[in-house]
Amino acid sequence: MKNVTDSFLSLGHWPSAGSFGFNTDILATNPINLSVVIGVLIFFGKGVLSDLLDNRKQRILNTIRNSEELRGGAIEQLEKARARLRKVEMEADQFRVNGYSEIEREKWNLINSTSKTLEQLENYKNETIQFEQQRAINQVRQRVFQQALQGALGTLNSCLNNELHLRTISANIGMLGAMKEITD
Amino acid sequence: MLSCSINTLKGLYDISGVEVGQHFYWQIGGFQVHGQVLITSWVVIAILLGSATIAVRNPQTIPTGSQNFFEYVLEFIRDVSKTQIGEEYGPWVPFIGTMFLFIFVSNWSGALLPWKIIQLPHGELAAPTNDINTTVALALLTSVAYFYAGLTKKGLSYFGKYIQPTPILLPINILEDFTKPLSLSFRLFGNILADELVVVVLVSLVPSVVPIPVMFLGLFTSGIQALIFATLAAAYIGESMEGHH
Repeated sequence: MKNVTDSFLSLGHWPSAGSFGFNTDILATNPINLSVVIGVLIFFGKGVLSDLLDNRKQRILNTIRNSEELRGGAIEQLEKARARLRKVEMEADQFRVNGYSEIEREKWNLINSTSKTLEQLENYKNETIQFEQQRAINQVRQRVFQQALQGALGTLNSCLNNELHLRTISANIGMLGAMKEITD
Repeated sequence: MLSCSINTLKGLYDISGVEVGQHFYWQIGGFQVHGQVLITSWVVIAILLGSATIAVRNPQTIPTGSQNFFEYVLEFIRDVSKTQIGEEYGPWVPFIGTMFLFIFVSNWSGALLPWKIIQLPHGELAAPTNDINTTVALALLTSVAYFYAGLTKKGLSYFGKYIQPTPILLPINILEDFTKPLSLSFRLFGNILADELVVVVLVSLVPSVVPIPVMFLGLFTSGIQALIFATLAAAYIGESMEGHH
């Protein structure tokens, strides 16, 4: 028992309190346990930490790459849109230039055709007026003739009797005989 | 025979003694400061500033290695601030980030770095957050921060929040201003000191394999404590800034 406790005593003999120094008692300063703990910490922690940090780095890389791509895409689209704008502007200018002459031409065409149509209509109108005039005149003539003939017929019928009829027939025979003598 | 065994027992007591509460006092001005806490704090600050300076040399668009890691940490802190504070989280990211990183690095350095190799005349080196002064300082800074946030955003009508939602709760709201820093500081202090003590006791009992799971648990909880402190600080700031605006 005494030997055991004596060996314990000799192990625990450190420099007297009251001075600086290095404690070389490995049982008190615990380097074995500490190194085990630190070793395990580094071993597992390294894996976890490097995973975390790699993920973070990848995420940052991807974000940067994505935004670069988006930026490139946006610039391309801007260029395309600008080119299209230029083309459309040129076409618009063309159209404007052409369009004005077109408009002028169309205007003149329209004016010409309209005046032609107008002339034609004028002609038709005049013709119709004349035709109607003629018709009216013819109608009037016809009516006049009809009236005259009716009047003559009436007069004839009113003063026609046998004696007049006989005298007329004999006058006509005399005229006919005279004409026949002339032609002979 | 009896005195012999008493001597043996005293020898055994010397080996298995675990010292807590011994501080390495420095005299600065009229104050006694805990020198060991200052030393370890300086080491933590040097680690933070040094690694940050090295990492942001030569920044690339596609981050690699340490730049990637620091950017990831910054995104994490920004996310925490944004979730807790809301839209105006921008100016508070440095504060929350400092809280989180300082507490996290000091907790983990206390658990992982072999501090016990360096021996001091009194006391020992450990995580700077195992001292109540450190944690109370951080908690008071958080108190000042959320008061400042509320006063700059709302002016003196910030004190109207003490009678929300009903004036009956006024004593409780005032009490809350004291319990917030109290709980913050003690939560952190208790967790870190207790974990340290458990590890030291286990090491002094069974030096080789058994403390290892407890050390892992300590790493886990100290990390969580740093996150909790930062999240709560952000939540208090957000709470004092929110309102009818």
